[in-house]
Amino acid sequence: MPLIVDEDLCTSCGVCVDRCTMDIIRLNDDGFPYKKYDECWYCGVCEEDCPENALIIDLPFQVK
Amino acid sequence: MIVIIIKIKLTKFITKNLYLNINLQIMSFIETKTKVGELMNLETDILVIGGGSAGTMAAIVAKEQNPDSDVVIIEKGEINRSGSIAMGMDALNIVVQPGITTPELYMNSARIATEGILDYKPSFVMAERSYSMLKRLEGWGIRFPRDDENKYISLQVHAKGSFLIEMDSPELKLVLAEKVKEAGVRVINRTIVTKLLVDRGQVNGAMGFNLRTGEFVVCKAKATILANGGCARFSLPNSGYLYGTFDYPGNAGDGYSLAYQAGAQLTGFEYTNCSPLIKDINCPLLYITLTRGAEVVNALGETIDLEYVSTQNMLKELREGRGPIFIKMNHLPEERIQEIERILFTVERPIQKKFWENRGIDFREGLIELGETEYQLCGGHGLTGIVVNEKTETTLKGLYAAGDVACVPLQHLTGAFVFGEVAAEEAVKFASNNDLGEVDQNLIKNEEQRLLNVMDNNKSGSISVQDFEYKVRRTISDYAIPPKNEIKLKRFLWWLPRFRDDMKDIQVTDHHELSRYEEIQFILDSAELSVHASLAREESRWGWFHHRTDYPEKDDANWLKHVVLEKGLKSGEVQTLLVDIENGGEH
Ligand SMILES: Cc1cc2nc3c(=O)[nH]c(=O)nc-3n(C[C@H](O)[C@H](O)[C@H](O)COP(=O)(O)OP(=O)(O)OC[C@H]3O[C@@H](n4cnc5c(N)ncnc54)[C@H](O)[C@@H]3O)c2cc1C
Ligand code: SF4
Ligand code: SF4
Repeated sequence: MPLIVDEDLCTSCGVCVDRCTMDIIRLNDDGFPYKKYDECWYCGVCEEDCPENALIIDLPFQVK
Repeated sequence: MIVIIIKIKLTKFITKNLYLNINLQIMSFIETKTKVGELMNLETDILVIGGGSAGTMAAIVAKEQNPDSDVVIIEKGEINRSGSIAMGMDALNIVVQPGITTPELYMNSARIATEGILDYKPSFVMAERSYSMLKRLEGWGIRFPRDDENKYISLQVHAKGSFLIEMDSPELKLVLAEKVKEAGVRVINRTIVTKLLVDRGQVNGAMGFNLRTGEFVVCKAKATILANGGCARFSLPNSGYLYGTFDYPGNAGDGYSLAYQAGAQLTGFEYTNCSPLIKDINCPLLYITLTRGAEVVNALGETIDLEYVSTQNMLKELREGRGPIFIKMNHLPEERIQEIERILFTVERPIQKKFWENRGIDFREGLIELGETEYQLCGGHGLTGIVVNEKTETTLKGLYAAGDVACVPLQHLTGAFVFGEVAAEEAVKFASNNDLGEVDQNLIKNEEQRLLNVMDNNKSGSISVQDFEYKVRRTISDYAIPPKNEIKLKRFLWWLPRFRDDMKDIQVTDHHELSRYEEIQFILDSAELSVHASLAREESRWGWFHHRTDYPEKDDANWLKHVVLEKGLKSGEVQTLLVDIENGGEH
């Protein structure tokens, strides 16, 4: 269940990395966030706190 | 450049006990930049472990009580958004409003809800202080909506009165984090505490590591407050997602294990509990909908008698084959539905909005299927936790416990805040009369070495942390939850040493995985405590949650008692004691 990032809007500010409740987000070599680890509980914090509205958290298979 | 200068100051002076008031953003930046293997050596007056609801409140109030005292929070996540209230909350479940309800009335309700397993004083103190807590929060800008007559909107979910007060606060945690910052509390984010420092029955601080950098953190403290939640990751969620739990999955029984290993007493571990929530996504909506006129119906189309939102009645329908069960709202007027949607889609778990959109379900027509959550251990929703008195004192000197980690039955968010406040008052008093205690340097060396060994020895383990945790929690689901019986519970004890031994095969490639490895130990300890307590209580109590098929009846004559657990001094094994309930003699 990847993060959906709008690369035109994302400024690589790292807020999503700082705020993730399970500490699973990192920035990739291009500076865009991805889930490095699996332990998402779809709390929605990353999406809510992104200052550019660049990030969408998707629900996983069968939790849709 | 400025960041680098502060970083140098921090590492240089921190051992000399110089307290810096650094703003949180810079703090978390420094942490991510500290070198692996570095040691952070801190000394403080009051250490708060866990910066969730209870922990942030405790830290703020400690500074309020004595602005000169130094306060440190060590938090596994990042305090702006960590813990059960990360996305806000929509109610304070227990508030006694002067002139409307009384603490005594609350005690009557709580006694019914806990089937008598309730000490008088802590719950009474919570009820008594609940209204001033509401006022404190209101003073900080937290909104408690009022009706046309200017009264707080309250809802009845207890047997004897309307104690639940609505709160409209998606930004609750951000407000608390801001107050922590204003108060000048030092916050060490992304750091998991793995062991308490104990010397001859007195707690003198804690140790842990930064789960991004691996930096080993030692914090010596005059008083220590444990506020790190219950055990959300107990049995497996029905969705199959390990972390798709209803409660915040960052709490894995850490506090229970830390307190137990340090020698504190714990209680209520036989009460493995779950709730009927939205199936698959595991989000709450019961109180919000049911107190606004929604009904629960079973597969036969019958409306279920809810008796003040009794979750046990709903679960019974499922177990007795009359499920699936559904929440029905199609009879409600449009403005009610809109009100429900507004609350559900803005606080607690707003992700629900997407869930319903994906499923194409509109509350005006569709039914909402309820499913059983995983089983958890919790002092907020349940009856489980560290033994505390009304002053939040544990059985260890210098150690206080507040929130879901402590056993004040069904205390919810009100308890976390009130006892955060109480713990701060008590810890400040204790710290002003005590020096930093003795710390055995070997304890520190051994813990650091233990963690380094796991990093070294488990590099090429054959099983991932997730797969291992899945197996542990599947085994908990198989043997440690209701319906229980002796043979079944003992099967878990047969598995337990095997799991502990097999942890050498877990692959740990970085400090993030090391933190998950540590959490598996916390889960195993919590399960061990739970199974011992379940075996000890040879009766059934609290409905399904401690139902023993070999002792199916409730037996008040012999069992209206606490099952208390502690680590045997000599054996190192779990010891169980039966302790009388403290009725307070005031009812
Ligand atoms: C979805 C949901 C809805 C709820 N709704 C309501 C409601 O409407 N009304 C109500 O009254 N109550 C409600 N509750 C209950 C209430 O939110 C909790 O009882 C309360 O927030 C518990 O506070 P706490 O401080 O004990 O735990 P938390 O707020 O969870 O804080 C624990 C903190 O400790 C940290 N931590 C854990 N382990 C470690 C470690 N080893 N080292 C360092 N840090 C650690 C965690 O990261 C976390 O930040 C709800 C709970 C949930 C989950
Ligand atoms: S918070 Fe938003 S803008 Fe910042 S890095 Fe994350 S996605 Fe990009
Ligand atoms: S939804 Fe929550 S746990 Fe998942 S990536 Fe976003 S912040 Fe992290």
